[in-house]
Formats: sequence, C-alpha cells, structure tokens
Amino acid sequence: MIECNNLTHYYGEKLVFENLNFKVREGSILGLLGKNGTGKTTAFNILNGFLQPTSGKCLIFGEDTQHMSPKTKARIGFLIEGHIQYSFMNIHQIEKFYSGFYPQWKSTAYWELISKLNVSPKQKISDMSCGQRSQVALGLILAQDPDLLILDDFSMGLDPGYRRLFIDYLREYAKAENKTLFTTSHIIQDMERLIDDVLIIDYNKVLVQSSVSEFRSNFRRFDFVLENDETDLKKESFIVNIEKVKNKVELYTYSTESVVKKYLDDNHILVSNFAQVEMPLEDAFIGLTGKY
Amino acid sequence: MWKSVFYKEWLKIRWFIVGYTLLGVLGIGYMFLALKHSFAFTEGENMWHLALFQGHQFYSHFKFVPLAGGLTIAFTQYLPETINKRLKLTFHLPLAENKILLIMQAFGACSLLVSFLIFFGLFTGFSLIYFPVQMVSNSLITISPWMLAGFAAYFIIVLIILEPKWIFRFCYLLIGGFFMTIYFTLDGTAAYSHANSGLFILTVLLSVTFVFSAYRFRKGEA
Repeated sequence: MIECNNLTHYYGEKLVFENLNFKVREGSILGLLGKNGTGKTTAFNILNGFLQPTSGKCLIFGEDTQHMSPKTKARIGFLIEGHIQYSFMNIHQIEKFYSGFYPQWKSTAYWELISKLNVSPKQKISDMSCGQRSQVALGLILAQDPDLLILDDFSMGLDPGYRRLFIDYLREYAKAENKTLFTTSHIIQDMERLIDDVLIIDYNKVLVQSSVSEFRSNFRRFDFVLENDETDLKKESFIVNIEKVKNKVELYTYSTESVVKKYLDDNHILVSNFAQVEMPLEDAFIGLTGKY
Repeated sequence: MWKSVFYKEWLKIRWFIVGYTLLGVLGIGYMFLALKHSFAFTEGENMWHLALFQGHQFYSHFKFVPLAGGLTIAFTQYLPETINKRLKLTFHLPLAENKILLIMQAFGACSLLVSFLIFFGLFTGFSLIYFPVQMVSNSLITISPWMLAGFAAYFIIVLIILEPKWIFRFCYLLIGGFFMTIYFTLDGTAAYSHANSGLFILTVLLSVTFVFSAYRFRKGEA
C-alpha cells in the first residue's frame, strides 16, 4: 500500500536519511519510531507530497506521492502534527466543508465522536482544548472513511484520557474496517497499544522493521551487577547497546542468554544478579537507540 | 467541490468584505455629501471650472480605498492558511492543488470585484447628478487604475504570503512595490486613458504568479 524506495533527503548539507526503504502492507497498523531529528516528520511530508526528496521515491496505491491524483488523495486520511485544522470554523461548519469533497462521507461517524465532547455544534474550533480538537480531527478522518490513514504525532498535546480515547477509537475502527494505518508518536506506550508493526529509524538508517511481537521477543535485555565497577565492557558485534551506571549494567542484544554468558566468561567478567528482563516497547526502543 | 472551497473562503472573509464594502459605501456617501455641500456654497460653474481646468478631483480621497480592500482580503483569506502550515490541509483535499488555489483566488478576486462594482455604480450614479457624462467618463478613467491596483495588491500579497522562504518574500515585496507604483504614478484626470488596457493585462498576468509560491510550498522549500 505504501512503498518507499531508496529515499534520501538532505536539508541543505545535513543528511536526514539515506537509502531509506520500507513498505506498509494493506490492513496493517505500522508505527514509525525514532528520536527527535531522525526524520519522522520529513518522511511523512514526503509521503503526503509536501516535500520533494533529494532522491528516491514513495508510492501510495502505486502512485508517486509527488504527483498524487485527487482520486488517490481521497483514499488517504491525513492528520497533521498537533491536530491542526481550520480553527476559524465551528464543528458544524468544518463537517459541512469536508463533506463536499467525499462522496462516501459518513456524517454519523463524525457526530458520534463529537457527541462525546459535550460541545454545541456552534463551538468554534479555535476555542476548543487540544484534546477536543483531536477528536474533531479524528472524527473528520473517520467520516472521510479512507483506505489509508497517515497520522503524524497524534498524541501531541493530549492528556492521558484523550490519548486513550483516540487510540481505542482508532484501533477499533482500523481493525473493524480493515484500514491501513501509518503513524508516529513520541509516546511509545500509546504506540504499543495501537500498532501491529514497527519501523524504527535512527540517524540515516532503518534499525528495525518487523511486527512488534517479533521485535519484542527477539530483542533482549540482560541486567547484571559487576563485581568490579571499573570493569571495561568491550562492545562486541552481537551487543547492540550497553547502558552502565556504576556497577549496574543493562546489555541489549538480539543474541541469546548463552551467548551473553559466554561473552562474560571469555572476558573474565565477574557478575551477579544476572537476569533477562522483559521489556515494554518503550524500553526496547531506548535500548536499541540509546538514551542520547 | 468548488462550492465547498467557496464556503471555506466565505467563512474567512465574510465580515471583512462586508465591513470593507459598507465602509466604502459610507465613504462614497460622505464624498458626495461634501460635494453637495460645495455645490450649495459655490456656483456649479466654479466647481466645473476647478475640475476641468485646474485638475481638481473631488474623489481623490478614494485613491487608496481599492488598494486597502485588496490588502484586507488577501490577508484575511491567506493568513489563516499559512498559520501552522494549514495549507497542507488544503493541498490534501481531493482536487488538483493549483485548481484549489485558483478557486480560492477567484473567490477573493470576485468578492473584491463585487465591492468595486458597488463602488463604481454608486460613484457613477452620484457623479451623473452633478456632472455631465464626459466629465464622469473622465473620472471613471481616472479611478480605473486605482481599482486595478486593488486587484494587483491582492495578487501580489497572495504571492508573498504563500511563499515559504523569507528571502523570496522580501524580493517579491520589493518587486511588487515597484509594480504598485505604476498604478499611482500619474495624478492627472484621465491620465491613464491610453494605459488602462495595459494595466489590465498586467493585473491579469499578476493573477497567475501564485503558482510559483504554491509550487515551492508544496515541494517543502521552507
């Protein structure tokens, strides 16, 4: 449904990413994760045709995103970072405005969500809280009934209640209607509740693209305490990341426990309290990309 | 779909265009009230003499009114689109990008046209009460470039607001400022009688310049 090939982008001389390749399969919910400045919004802008990549291209429904036809755009629901909408309109006017563009417009989906907000139809969007605006933006996307939803940082500015409402509504809708969803968020707990597949990018490269469950089962964390906190831990190829605070160590790897123990034995590193620790997605993400 | 675009544009500018038109109508009313006052205290022949031989233009206060209208409508229509880059929402609508912008601009220009036609009609009607057709005709030739300047200002401001780079905005401002002076260079009555058609063509050409800025905005040259 989405296919990006050899995507490279520079802002001036600053490389954002190079030869980025990824696909989003039909019916999946894919979350794009990355630290600040790794190019998430840049990728979204390229996908929506608001930015021309330095090289490479993205296809949505087989069309180059730089030249999307109105018909293809009608099949894509797009949420701008911060739930930006036409704030000079009220909630009735904005529904009336958008309904003119989409023949399959589902007014009831919009008003069902808006009814939860306890606001009048004449409530101006500029006078609404960020949480309420997020529901308006979501309601408009649901009423549009697109095949593909692209949501840029949907949790920005939302309190926990609205985030939960947004995620639960969205996931239920996407699964019930077999919609494809490509999204990003700074709050990874939210992503974990929402997404099936994950794409993790770091500066210039893709670190992971797999299902969340596969990533969580393959990527492991081992905690242990060094007998001697002066011990220098040599980073071998199987080690993805080591976080060390005094004598407490977190070691992240795709390898098994036996490989890690062999490494410790071979290097004569004495440890205690050795244990494999289950990680939520957020910890796995930090373990993979590092804290800084 | 164009009806929806018109609806959005109307929501943005409705109070401003109505307010501007009302103020303009009041201004024209006041102008002719002052003229009536002058006729009451001066012989009609003297007024005609002033107008015909000394180049007196009783409507000179009207000179920058269309310009103000062009600026007002351009800002009220396009600033809300650029705040938080809301133009992305517009570009995501299922219509060709240039077509949407063209509809938006056509709506703004037509709104101005309606206002200007009201002004033009009132001005012509009231003028014919006091002056012969030939003098009124010369007055209309005089105010035509001012009206065209209103449209030109509108198109130039659209070009500037849609432009994503400040350096280009500054350049457009300088070039646009130069273009605007062309509409106001000559002060004499009917001085633009041979130039109005040229100014009209220039104004029409300015109406398509927005595609440069829109293209650059779409390609993310911010």
